[in-house]
Amino acid sequence: MSPSAPDTADITWDLVRKRNFVERLKHEKGGLAVIADLPAMIATGYEAVPEEDFVRLQWHGLYHDKPKLGYFMLRVKLPGGVLTPQKLRAIGDISARYGRGHGELTTRQNVQLHWLAMQELPEVLAALAAAGLTTAGACGDNVRNITGCPLSGLAEDELFDVRGVVAEAAEFFLAHREYSDLPRKHKITIAACPHQCNAPEIHCIALLGVLRDGRPGFAVKVGGGLSTWPRLADDLGVWVPREAALPVLRAIVDVWREDLRYRLSRTRARLKFMVHDVGAADFRSRVEARLGRRLDDLEAGAAPAPPAVEFDHVGLHRQRQAGLWWSGFPVFLGLMDADAMRGVADLAESCGGEIRLTRRQNFILAGIPEERVDDVVRGAAALGFPLAAHPLRGASIACTGDPFCNFTVAETKGKLQEIVEHLERAFGDAVAGLRLNLDGCPHACAHHWIGDIGLQGTTLRERGPAGERLHGYDLFLRGGLGRGAAIGRPVLRRVPGTEVHRVIESLVRAWLAGRAEDEPIQAFFTRHADDALLAMAQSAAVSASIPSLVDSGIDSGIAGAAPERG
Amino acid sequence: MWNATNALRADEGLDELEAGQLAEELEFATPQEVLAWALDRWGGNAAISTSFQAEGMALLDMAWRIDPKVRVFTVDTGRLPQETYEVIETVRARYGMTIEVFFPDAAQVETMVRHHGPDLFRKSVQARLRCCNVRKVEPIRRALSGLDAWITGLRRDQWASRANIRKVEIDHDHGGLAKVSPLADWTAPEVEDYNRDHDVPRHPLYDRGYTSIGCIPCTRATAAGEDPRAGRWWWETNAPKECGIHCPVETGGFEHEMDAIVHLGAVGPAAAARER
Repeated sequence: MSPSAPDTADITWDLVRKRNFVERLKHEKGGLAVIADLPAMIATGYEAVPEEDFVRLQWHGLYHDKPKLGYFMLRVKLPGGVLTPQKLRAIGDISARYGRGHGELTTRQNVQLHWLAMQELPEVLAALAAAGLTTAGACGDNVRNITGCPLSGLAEDELFDVRGVVAEAAEFFLAHREYSDLPRKHKITIAACPHQCNAPEIHCIALLGVLRDGRPGFAVKVGGGLSTWPRLADDLGVWVPREAALPVLRAIVDVWREDLRYRLSRTRARLKFMVHDVGAADFRSRVEARLGRRLDDLEAGAAPAPPAVEFDHVGLHRQRQAGLWWSGFPVFLGLMDADAMRGVADLAESCGGEIRLTRRQNFILAGIPEERVDDVVRGAAALGFPLAAHPLRGASIACTGDPFCNFTVAETKGKLQEIVEHLERAFGDAVAGLRLNLDGCPHACAHHWIGDIGLQGTTLRERGPAGERLHGYDLFLRGGLGRGAAIGRPVLRRVPGTEVHRVIESLVRAWLAGRAEDEPIQAFFTRHADDALLAMAQSAAVSASIPSLVDSGIDSGIAGAAPERG
Repeated sequence: MWNATNALRADEGLDELEAGQLAEELEFATPQEVLAWALDRWGGNAAISTSFQAEGMALLDMAWRIDPKVRVFTVDTGRLPQETYEVIETVRARYGMTIEVFFPDAAQVETMVRHHGPDLFRKSVQARLRCCNVRKVEPIRRALSGLDAWITGLRRDQWASRANIRKVEIDHDHGGLAKVSPLADWTAPEVEDYNRDHDVPRHPLYDRGYTSIGCIPCTRATAAGEDPRAGRWWWETNAPKECGIHCPVETGGFEHEMDAIVHLGAVGPAAAARER
């Protein structure tokens, strides 16, 4: 039984507003417009502000921190992950002054702050604006931060520079208010990175750089996304010249936002549902009809080849510009507090460099003159970002989680730290290529569906001795991006938080012992049945020889090799 | 030690992938279709949770028409209005149902009242949350512990932050059982219309101006034009903008506020305010 949506002809705005509370709310007062009311909200006091206005504040990148008592998380949009020292310093200053020093990097190249008090939001937003930064459209039914390869304009192997396209699109969708009333959030990524570091498979729209006879343009993917209904994007089978990128993006967003079928229900509103319903070929026809012209076919074999595995830009490398280097620094748990932000800003400024953010919650310092490279690497280490950290630290991600997020049901960053430190001790370099993705809830901000090992927080059926809730994790295996892109399966369920590091150790041990030569962990999990994986997870009391986690330090020295240049 | 047998005990329930798929497939189904599906899938391992307000009564009536043996549970917090007990009697007579009534743990109530008094909920938000926890949430947890699925009367427009709830989802706040919300996309008038058309018993307090009915000391009538939410915990300041016993992960909810305000209190905004 799967009743379908009413026929498009039968759907009116009245029906949409009857069925969909948020459509009603947006109709009454737009999300972006709420900012004009902020002074009045502050004057009235938190108690008297209706919850609806707090939902509208999402349009300005503001979400209640937990508990919902008038303190906010704020998400700063950084198109393409591009920052300057001045901008990062401004964010750090705001964090220190208004946000208790907290800060974190996100999987979509944003920076988030926490615990900003409602009455101070006007000052905070003004300070951001003064630094050339915005939070408008960072949450809510908007084109969210447009992501891309953080090395655009810098990498030796980039096909062409996409920064202009990213900036133009970001500006356009923010400036035109109809794109702030989308059926749901919308995620666009644009890059000409040969490693496809920007995860085109899981975006609503992805533009992938393709040179045709030397002319820059893009292949297009549509309909990807994770959350509770994960779906990998489809190829649209077209090639779009660089100068036509924005009109095509607009047409794609238009055919979706104008179809009322995707406004009836917020749980079935994202572009992926439309692509699923109509198919990529029909979706392409609709886009062409909206544009009023055919799109060029992308000839078979011309589509950019996906990377072998998911890729992130880390380590020290020569830049396209002669005499300059860039370095991707791992940010363990994606945490960067106010002091670290200001320190990194100073460091970048001291060498005339700039800062970029990667989608695995790490940062890049670029534009480092050759003679300053050693200084900068030492300086970053002193700030808590040693280049020689175990690669797991840069490659593993966790969502925001406790104590900030209202949605999370289990510990996220703290638990990831425990697991990573445990695996470092148990396996050292053998797990250098592993990616752990840990989420506290089904929203999948940390993309648990596509990690080598994905974790999603849950609670156990049993209760603790004092009747307290016990955290647990569902483990997702067989997912990944790149050549073998696939959505993972929740193979292990409700593993207690107290034991999850050991269960992961068992799985990793089984893979290391049983893999074919160089077999990636995803392939290993894929060729074993659920029962076999369950048996592996339970095999042996593996941890008897593992020293206590309590005394495991940050500088475990496992990856201890000096950074290699190249 | 964790083992797969325990971990998989409820896997005749749903996993996240299947729940997402089902929510997508059932999104445009009617409440009766969703109910019929849930009762067919889980039978006696599913139960309707109700406090005999309009939504719960509509669900109960719909489900009874599909399967008169449908399981229904409620929590008697010990502080309910007499009118609620009258509704329970009416339902028993009208539908011939056994209502499974869960009570708070006597020892917990005794300890709480001995230390904090019977009306502790007037003293602070923390105290009120404790009271809700002992009298309402713990009994619900006990009711859920034997189930594979629970069926709730949650509607998306009851609260702005509930707009994304799905008709089928995994309730990660309660050990990962399934949670079914057949009325998710209904409006309050649709519920009223259904109840009127089917002559469903109506809680008498609605006719006395109540918009939300719970424990009698914590619920009051609201005047016309007054925010219906003013009918609950109206004396509180600095209370979280969230309410009730339904806590799907999409909305945050009681468990999350409990964690933050009672368990993590030292790092919460209250502490932040003190630091200032």
